[in-house]
Amino acid sequence: MAALPQLIEEDIERLGGELRELLEKSDATTALIIDKGGFLITSQGDARQFDLTTIAALASGAYMANQTIANLVHETSFNSIYQQGEKFSMFVMGVDENCLLVAIFKAQVSVGAVKYFAGPAVKRIAVQLQIAQERDPGARLDLSELNLADPSEVFKRKT
Amino acid sequence: MAIINQATKELQVKVVYYGPAMGGKTTNLVQVHDHVQTAAGNKGKLVSLATSSDRTLFFDFLPIEAMSIKGFKTKFQLYTVPGQVIYNTTRQLVLRGVDGIVFVADSQYEKMAENVESFANLEDNLKMLKLNLADIPYVLQYNKRDLPNIAPVEYMEFLLNNRDLQVPSFSSAAHKCEGVFEALNMITRMLLNKFISQGTPQYA
Repeated sequence: MAALPQLIEEDIERLGGELRELLEKSDATTALIIDKGGFLITSQGDARQFDLTTIAALASGAYMANQTIANLVHETSFNSIYQQGEKFSMFVMGVDENCLLVAIFKAQVSVGAVKYFAGPAVKRIAVQLQIAQERDPGARLDLSELNLADPSEVFKRKT
Repeated sequence: MAIINQATKELQVKVVYYGPAMGGKTTNLVQVHDHVQTAAGNKGKLVSLATSSDRTLFFDFLPIEAMSIKGFKTKFQLYTVPGQVIYNTTRQLVLRGVDGIVFVADSQYEKMAENVESFANLEDNLKMLKLNLADIPYVLQYNKRDLPNIAPVEYMEFLLNNRDLQVPSFSSAAHKCEGVFEALNMITRMLLNKFISQGTPQYA
């Protein structure tokens, strides 16, 4: 697996801009960029009524499960999945090797519009991720101040 | 691989509990969820995708925010895999992006073959993802030590930890929360050590 790029403020702002544009044009409620391993990278829109961390984990699992099904039916991939609900629906589309775009929208909103505007959004998101990828692949975070002598400080059991 | 988001100052780490069916993987997550001390709002919901008979179908998922390192929030995402043999494709999916593994072995004598088979399956599935177990921090948890028909720890060490570089192992009775936090804290320590010694993983 290729490494994910380092994203800085500028990247997150541009990715956020793409998500905001998608929300405005498609009338979707919430849009997320997630990692295929299940991590939430960034989101826009209404985050209060949804548990986005858990949605990221489950949506990536559902998407990846569908890719396995695609292989079983001799398809290279199912590039997107659509879950239709009575109140809200969800559309997930592949961005690149590592990332996915998730759009959550009210059930009365046209999935066609979400798909139509998600297509070019995904391409622009992929371009920004590529820019980030080429910027500084070797950057690191200094964790040296962490006291590893006492791991019990990380997770404590209630007494 | 772990994600560090420089813009939002977050470190996200994925730990997977792996092992044979009915070994206690889900119980580990339930105990962590029930007993972990966290600041308000730092513990997410425990999500279980289970069958009607409470067997894990896809995975269990528990997000926890643990601590701040140099201003970075550390978010741990704990997953289990379904232990049953038929769900191997699902196990491969859950292993994608794994940073650390807790292998939960069943200490009962009659489960030794399943333990060994599951461990070999773990190595095979990592290879499918172009990963090598030797490169991934992992610990062994010998669960159900409170049952009467258990194999000696030394025997389990011989079966599962008989390598050039032995990994930490823990005796546990997960349903009593014994050995649960010890294993979780050790894998956390190993993960953070790896990040420091080898530089950080992937960035986002």
